[in-house]
Amino acid sequence: MLLDTELRYAGMNQAYLEVTRRRREDLLGRPIMQEYDGGPGAGAAENARRLLASFQKVLSTGQSDSMAVLHYPILIDQPDGTKTYDDRYWSCTHTPVKDDSGRVTHILQNTNDITELERLRRQVGKLRPQEMPSALDSLIGGGMFRRAMSVQADNRRLEIERRQLQDMFMQTPGFVAVLNGPEHVIQMHNGAYGQLIGHRDVLGRPIREALPELAGQGFYDFLDEVLATGEPFQGRQSPVQIQQTPNALLATRYLDFTYQPIRNDAAEIIGVFVQGHDVTESVIAAERQKLMIDELNHRVKNTLATVQSIAMQTARSHDDPRTFAETFQSRIMSLSHTHDLLTRSHWEGADLREVLEHETTAHGLHRLTLNGPNISLDPAMAVSLGMIFHELATNAAKYGALSAGDGRVLVDWSIADLNDPHLAIRWRETGGPSVSQPERRGFGSRLIERNVRHDLAGTVQMHYRDDGFIAEITIPLNKEAA
Amino acid sequence: MTKALQGRRVLIIEDESLVAMLLETILDDMGCEVIGPDSNIDDGLKSATTEAVLDAALLDVNVAGREVFPVADALKARGVPFVFSTGYGEAGLPEHWRGHPTIQKPFTEGAIRDALMKAMNISLA
Repeated sequence: MLLDTELRYAGMNQAYLEVTRRRREDLLGRPIMQEYDGGPGAGAAENARRLLASFQKVLSTGQSDSMAVLHYPILIDQPDGTKTYDDRYWSCTHTPVKDDSGRVTHILQNTNDITELERLRRQVGKLRPQEMPSALDSLIGGGMFRRAMSVQADNRRLEIERRQLQDMFMQTPGFVAVLNGPEHVIQMHNGAYGQLIGHRDVLGRPIREALPELAGQGFYDFLDEVLATGEPFQGRQSPVQIQQTPNALLATRYLDFTYQPIRNDAAEIIGVFVQGHDVTESVIAAERQKLMIDELNHRVKNTLATVQSIAMQTARSHDDPRTFAETFQSRIMSLSHTHDLLTRSHWEGADLREVLEHETTAHGLHRLTLNGPNISLDPAMAVSLGMIFHELATNAAKYGALSAGDGRVLVDWSIADLNDPHLAIRWRETGGPSVSQPERRGFGSRLIERNVRHDLAGTVQMHYRDDGFIAEITIPLNKEAA
Repeated sequence: MTKALQGRRVLIIEDESLVAMLLETILDDMGCEVIGPDSNIDDGLKSATTEAVLDAALLDVNVAGREVFPVADALKARGVPFVFSTGYGEAGLPEHWRGHPTIQKPFTEGAIRDALMKAMNISLA
C-alpha cells in the first residue's frame, strides 16, 4: 500500500484490498487516518498515535520505520451490509519513496496480518505458564514474537533517546545540520542554522540547490572532500557570503565550524555532520581593536614627536635651564589640558570657549573677556587652538596687557560667510604697555603662524600697536571645501 | 658635523606643524634648503611634480588621514630619493615599500641624516 506525503492512499495491491475487505475506488485519495481510526475502546487513540508517529518519522527522517506488532482493529463490511470492528494485529514496515533530489514523495507500507499468530500465542499463554516456553510456543513463533516485542521496546527507548538528542541539537546555541548522501541533502538543521541561512525552507534539498550563493566559496568542495576521504574539516573565522534576507545583498559572516563524516554500521561514509558558531561579532571587534591600537600608536608617536619638537625649539630660545624647564613644562601642560578636554568628550571634540578658558584661567578670569557663540571644534582643531591660545596668553603675560596691573584681553569670535563658514577670532589686548614688533620672531609666534597656516589652513595677522597687541585669526570650518 | 647634505633642496610633507618645524630645524642645521613643508597630499603632489630642483624628500606616511604613497610614486618616477617618516616604523609600510629608508617618530638628527644619505646613496667613505 502506498501513501502520499499527506497520508492519503495513492495505491494498493489486491492482497491489501482482500485483507481489509475494501474496494480500491473507495480508498484512493482518502486519508488513511480517517479510514482507520484505531478502532473502538480505550486503546484506539494510542493505536492511531503509534501508526501516525511511524509515518511522521519516515517523512521527517527519510528512513524506513518498522512496527513489529501493531494492534489495530479495522472496520469490516459484513455480508449483511453492516460494518463491524474486527480485532487485528499487524506487523508493518514503512519505507520512504524519494524523488531524484532525495525528497520523500510517498510512503510504502508493507503489512502482514499477524492476527492468527497473535491469537495462537495468547492461547498458548493461557495453557502454560509464561516463563516456560514450549516447543510449540517456539515453533509457532512465540520466541520470535517475544523477540519482536523486545525489539519493539528497544525501538521505543531508542526513539526517546533519539528525540532527546535531537532536542539538544535543536536548542544548542551553535548551528547544527545533518547532510545526507553525495548530494549533501539537508536532512535536519537547528534554529541557529536556520537563522544563519535566513530561515529558508531547505529541508530535503541538496545543499547546492538549497544554498546556491555558496557556489565558488569552497564549502561544497570541503563537503565533497569529507565525504570522499572521511577526514573531518575545520574552518576558523571563515568568511561566508550568505543570503540572510530575501532579495537583499549577501551578508558577510565569519564562521568557526567543523564538517564531520557520518558513518553507517558498515563504516561507510553516508553523510556529513555540520556544527559551528557564527563568530562575526568577535571578528569585527578584533578588527576594530586592531584599528584602535594602530590609531593609538600613531597618535602616541606623533605626540612624542610634538613634545620632542617643543623641547628642541624651547631649548633654542632659553640658555638658562631653569627658564627652559618652566617654559617647556607650561607648554606640555597646555597640551595636556586640551587632551583632558577631549578625553571628556571621548575625543569627539571640544567647545572653543572651554579651550580658551583652559588656557587663560591661570592669568585671572576677570582680566579676560570671552565673547562669542558656542562652537564645537574637532580634536585636531582643539589641540592646535589650545597651543595657539597658550602662546598668546604667555606672550601677553610676559610682554603685553597681562604683564601690567590693569591690562585686559578681549577675545571675540564669530562665524562669517555661512556658505563657506569661517571662524574669525580676534585677540585684543588693552591697558597694557605699548608694544612693538620684536626684532627676532620667537618660537611662540612662529608656532602660532605655522599652526594656523599649516594645521588649520587659515590665516593670522599680528599687529603690534601702541595701544596693545592684536591677533586676528581666520580658520575655515569646512576643511574639505578649503 | 658632516656637510654631506649642505645645500640640498629637501621637500618636507608633514601634517603636524610642530613636527614639521622640528624637521625644518634639523634640516636647517644640516645646511639643507627646506621646500614646503606641505601639510596635505594635494600640496605635496604639486611640490613633488612642479619644483624644478629637488634633491630629496621626507614624507610623513599618514598625512591628515591620507596616505602619502601617490607622492612617493611621483618622486620615484622623477628619480628623486626620499625617506618615509612614520610612527609605526617600517611595519607600517605596505609590502610594496618595505625596505625603503624610513625614520620612526620621534626621531633623532642622526637617524634623519643617515636615512637621507642612504636614500641619496651618499657614503662618507
